[in-house]
Amino acid sequence: MLNIFRMDLHRFITNKIMYILLLVFCAFQIFGIFMFKQYAQPIQAGGIDISKMNESEFIQHLFSQPPSWILIYIFVFCVYFYFSEYNSGFYKNYITMKKARVYSVVSKILVQAIFTVFMMVAMVVSDLIGRGIFFDNTSIGDLGYFAKLLIGLFLLLWAFSILILCTSIFTRSMLVSFGIALVLVLNVVGMIFAVLESLLDNVYLSQYLLVSTIYSTFDYNHGRDLIHIASVATVTLLLFAFIAIRLKIKEDLR
Amino acid sequence: MTSTIIEVRQLTKKFKAKTAVYNADFKIARGEIFGLIGQNGAGKSTLLKMIGGLIHSTSGEIYFFDRSESKDQSFFERMGLLIENPGLYPQYTAYKTLQLLAIAYGLKSPNQYIIHLLRLVGLDASDKTKVKNYSMGMKQKLGIAIALLGSPDVLILDEPINGLDPQGIVEMRKLILELNKTGLTIIISSHILEELSKIATTYAIIHKGKIIEVISKDDLLLKCEERIELEVDHVEEVLPVLEQQLNISNYRVIDQQNVHIYDSHIENHQIVHLLARNQKLVHSIVKYKMSLEQYFLELTKSAGELHA
Ligand SMILES: Nc1ncnc2c1ncn2[C@@H]1O[C@H](COP(=O)(O)OP(=O)(O)OP(=O)(O)O)[C@@H](O)[C@H]1O
Ligand SMILES: [Mg+2]
Repeated sequence: MLNIFRMDLHRFITNKIMYILLLVFCAFQIFGIFMFKQYAQPIQAGGIDISKMNESEFIQHLFSQPPSWILIYIFVFCVYFYFSEYNSGFYKNYITMKKARVYSVVSKILVQAIFTVFMMVAMVVSDLIGRGIFFDNTSIGDLGYFAKLLIGLFLLLWAFSILILCTSIFTRSMLVSFGIALVLVLNVVGMIFAVLESLLDNVYLSQYLLVSTIYSTFDYNHGRDLIHIASVATVTLLLFAFIAIRLKIKEDLR
Repeated sequence: MTSTIIEVRQLTKKFKAKTAVYNADFKIARGEIFGLIGQNGAGKSTLLKMIGGLIHSTSGEIYFFDRSESKDQSFFERMGLLIENPGLYPQYTAYKTLQLLAIAYGLKSPNQYIIHLLRLVGLDASDKTKVKNYSMGMKQKLGIAIALLGSPDVLILDEPINGLDPQGIVEMRKLILELNKTGLTIIISSHILEELSKIATTYAIIHKGKIIEVISKDDLLLKCEERIELEVDHVEEVLPVLEQQLNISNYRVIDQQNVHIYDSHIENHQIVHLLARNQKLVHSIVKYKMSLEQYFLELTKSAGELHA
């Protein structure tokens, strides 16, 4: 297990695409903050004053405005990382090792966790730089709240990356996976659910969907909200990790 | 004494409507070179993928016997695969590819070993060429080096000679024989029987998903040897004459009328002449030479008719 993970890790850290994604993301994030400054609606006209927000509020504000760019970067990376191995057939070189299929999926899941952490660090750093330059405001706010927010977001984003891995294994096609991932990021599923719910009474399922949860604004000081986030994240995380491994075990490889 | 290393029983693979391999049954002995011969689409790759654990069988079993002989297991780790085409990252060099895999195999300080493997297959460890710029033959060679990295007991090579130039073929044969000498069991496929005739010790001929014959090298050569097929009234009356007058010693009596003569120094007319002088009637005499390829074609043709 450890060895296959170490191999994937080596491929991950020596991969230029990963660094390019992170840099491009940072650049656009800072540019986005610049655009906020340029085109901010006056407060009197119902606009919100972004410049006065602390980092936690700022992150939550961004996630409440779908589609989230961070989700797009995550799925691009996950699909790319999986298919660069799958399409090249490199797995054939170690598939005869014990439990290679299971370990190769677990190892992808772990690499995705690391990439998710990298993305979040990139997000926070570029936010601070951007807000520092354009709003002259680098406040983080309550550190405890900030930590809870980051942990919650990490679990949700990681779960999302596993969902994408699962999609990739299932579809076996890079293009189809990109398509499905895009549909997920636009939260089309959540919208369809919401429409169906409006036809029924007393059904509130859509709020428990992963992507809907990512796009909703929660109060991380509120116990109920924390439970909601933690349960949605862990359930999707475990469920799709399980499905991904099952799919891989059953798969006929090329 | 040869012992079995892999046994395949009633192995079948169906892809939706298509049956790619049907009821394959054979054993592979430890240390042999097992040649799998079949035309395009016969099911060679499918069969090898099942043995290599890339795809699952629809039914049937594969048994692997480890060195202790007694225990069979459904899983075998000590296998190196080169099936269809080598799985390579295009932007990596050969050396880097092996380095990456060495991590997965948990090899400690593998650099010397990697250099050794690359030299063994005829590649240069210091070559900075990316794999995407490799020729077909270079990729195949790297594929073999990769398959050897885990020090396997069994090497599965699917059409490794495909796309190689004549010199490459000679080198590949040499390499396969060398590896086999170290005790490695090798399973190798090809669509040309002739191609493997210089290396394989056993042949399995697969046609339309069915193994139609498993034959040892010696038996195969016997079937394809040049011979004179002679038909007379009574073989036992003719044989002493042939033995004494023409020094014929290498023959096989088929039945009372037919005998096959393998002595290569004899010509048809000598026999006809001699028997006429001795008042023995010759019903028919033909010089018969079947090439390996002919043998293969006739076998697959008759198998084809059988299923038609
Ligand atoms: N994944 C698949 N789905 C459907 N059919 C398949 C699949 N793989 C192989 N087949 C079919 O099974 C049959 C055997 O294919 P296989 O690749 O094993 O042949 P082969 O003997 O290796 O041929 P070649 O010499 O061309 O490599 C073919 O008819 C092929 O079309
Ligand atoms: Mg094939």
